[in-house]
Amino acid sequence: MSAKRLRIIALLAISTVFLLAWAFPIVWSVLNSLKTDSDVLAYPPKLVFAPTLEAYRDVLFGSGSILPNLLSSVIISVGTTIVTMLMAVPAAYALARLRFRGKKFAGFYVLATQMLPPVGIIIPYFLVLRNIGWIDTYQGIILIYLSFSLPFAIWLLVSYFEDIPLEMEEAAYLDGASRLKTLWRIIIPQVRGGIAVTIVFVFLNAWNEFLFAVVLSGNTVRPVTVAMFNFVSVEQTLWAKLAAVSVLAMLPVVVLGVVAQKHIVKGLTVGAVKGGGRR
Amino acid sequence: MSGQGQVSFRNIVKMHGEFAALKGVNFDIKPGEFFALLGPSGSGKSTTLRILAGLDAPTAGRVLIDDKDVTSTDARDRDIAMVFQSYALYPHMTVAENIAFPLEMAKLPKSEIAPAVKDAARKVKIDHLLHRKPGQLSGGQQQRCALARAIVRKARLFLLDEPLSNLDAKLRLETRAELKKLQRSLGVTAVYVTHDQEEAMTLADRMAVFMSGEIQQVGTPAEVFARPNSIDIAGFIGNPPMNLVPARYVDGDVIIAGHRLKTTATTAGERDVVVGLRPGALRMAEGGLGARVDLIEDLGDTAVLDLDCAGTMIRMRVADGNIPGEGDTISITARPQDIHLFDPATRMRL
Repeated sequence: MSAKRLRIIALLAISTVFLLAWAFPIVWSVLNSLKTDSDVLAYPPKLVFAPTLEAYRDVLFGSGSILPNLLSSVIISVGTTIVTMLMAVPAAYALARLRFRGKKFAGFYVLATQMLPPVGIIIPYFLVLRNIGWIDTYQGIILIYLSFSLPFAIWLLVSYFEDIPLEMEEAAYLDGASRLKTLWRIIIPQVRGGIAVTIVFVFLNAWNEFLFAVVLSGNTVRPVTVAMFNFVSVEQTLWAKLAAVSVLAMLPVVVLGVVAQKHIVKGLTVGAVKGGGRR
Repeated sequence: MSGQGQVSFRNIVKMHGEFAALKGVNFDIKPGEFFALLGPSGSGKSTTLRILAGLDAPTAGRVLIDDKDVTSTDARDRDIAMVFQSYALYPHMTVAENIAFPLEMAKLPKSEIAPAVKDAARKVKIDHLLHRKPGQLSGGQQQRCALARAIVRKARLFLLDEPLSNLDAKLRLETRAELKKLQRSLGVTAVYVTHDQEEAMTLADRMAVFMSGEIQQVGTPAEVFARPNSIDIAGFIGNPPMNLVPARYVDGDVIIAGHRLKTTATTAGERDVVVGLRPGALRMAEGGLGARVDLIEDLGDTAVLDLDCAGTMIRMRVADGNIPGEGDTISITARPQDIHLFDPATRMRL
C-alpha cells in the first residue's frame, strides 16, 4: 500500500515538473501579452499587474497590423493541406496496395526526404524559385512546403491503408465496383480517422513553419511566423506585442489540437507501431 | 439478369514463382449444382476459387462460364457473387447498405433496391437487423449478412470460401442445413470451398478432391466415399478415415499381419499393396485377424476401437451393445467387396 502510494506521489511529482516545463513558455507569453511594455521589463517580474489589451489592439488594428500576415498563413496552410491530401491519398493507397516496379525505391524515397537537414536545401530551393520567378508568391511557398508535407502525409497514411483487409476490396470488386469506386466508397470511409490526423499534422507543420518562410517570402506574402520578427529590432524588442502575436498565432494550433487530440494520439501510435513493420 | 451458371476449368496452371499451386486443373460444374472444392490446406482449392472469381489470374489454361471464355475478364464483369471466410462486410455501412451495395453498383433504381434488400434479408432471417452496423452483429448474423449481400444480386454463380469456419459447432450445423435449402430454393450454381470433408459430404451434389495442386477425384460424395481414387483421398474422407495397411496380394487374397483375407479387387500376380478398410466395414467374426483392443472411444450410439493387429494400428467402428473391453483380444474380418487395394508406389487405386 505504502509502496503504491509512494509510486503515485513520485509519478505526480515528475508529471508536475514536465507540465511546468511545457506550460511555462505559454503562460509567460500570455501574461506578457497582457502587460504594458514597462511591466514586461520590470525586475523582479511582476506577477500581479493591471492587465491591458493594448498590445492586441496594436498588433491587430495598429499601423503594423498582422491581419494580412494571418491571412497569408491561412492561405499557405490551407493550400498546402489541400494539395497535399489530394496527392497523398491516392499515392498512399498505391503504395499500400498495388504491385508495381520501383515500389521499394518509391517507399524509400518517401522516407529519405524526411532525413535531409532543411538548412542544407534552403539555398537550392531559393535559386530554383528565383529562376522561375516564384519568390514571394503563394504558389512558390506551397510548392516548397509540399516537398516536405507530401512524403510525411504519404508515410502516415500508408499504415492506415494497410490496415484495411484486402478481402474487403475484393468483395467490392465482386459486387461490381471499379477500383476508383472501391477506393471512394469502401476504403476512404474506413481511413477517415487517419485522413483527419494527417490533415491536422500537415496544417500545423505549414502553419508553424519559419525557416523556409523567412527566406522564400517577401513583402507580398509574409506568414505570421515571419511577421512576428518585425517586433524584434536592433534598438529594442517590443515584448508585449511579440507575445500578443505569438498568442494569436498559437490559437488555431491549440484549437485544432484540442479538437483532434484523440485522433492525434492514436495517429502517432499507429505510425510508430506500423511504420517499422511495413512491407 | 443472369445466365445458367455452367463452369469449366481447362488445364488451369497457377505458378507462384517456382512453386506450382495448381498443376493443370480440369473440371466441369453443371448449372444449378452445389459443387464442393475439398482438400487439406495448401492443396489449391482456394486458389481455384479465386481464379474462378477473377481475383487471381491463372498462369496458363482457360476458364469458361456458360461456354464463354472469361479467363481475362475482370472480376466485376463476371456476374459472380462471393461469401468470404472473413465475410468482408463493409464496417462503415449498415446491414441494409451492405446488402444494397451490389445493386447500387449495378445502377438499379432506388425504388427497386429497397424491396430487393428486404427480400434478401428476409431469406436469411436478418430483416430485423437492417439498421445495425456489422460491428453490432453476432458472428452468425454477420455471416447471414454476407450471404444476403451475395444472393441479393441473383448472380449466376455463388462462391463460398469456407463460410462456416468462423461459427461455433452448433451454429455451423444449423447454418449448413439452411445453406443447402437456400441454394436449392434459389436454384443457383454454388461453388463451395472447404477443408471439412463432412461439410462437403453433406452439402455437395458433387465434389472435386484436391491434393497438392491437383484434382485427384471428381464425383458425388457417395462415389468418393465408396471408391476413393488414391491413398490420400482414402485417408482424408470419412470419420475416422479409411484404415490404410501395408499388405501382400497373392491370387485374390491379401495377407495382413500373417492373415489371409479374400478380396474382390484384383491386380496382376503377386505384389505389395496398401489395403484400405473402412472402420465401419470391419466385422467381429471367428477365424479372422487377431487384434487386441487398445482404446475405446465411446460416442454413445457407436464406439471407435483402436486395435493392435500384430503391430499394425487399425480403427474399427462398432455398434453400441457390441463393445468388447479394453485389453480384450478379438478377431476381425471384412467382406471381400469392402477391401480396397492401392499401389504403394503411385498411391493410386488398383
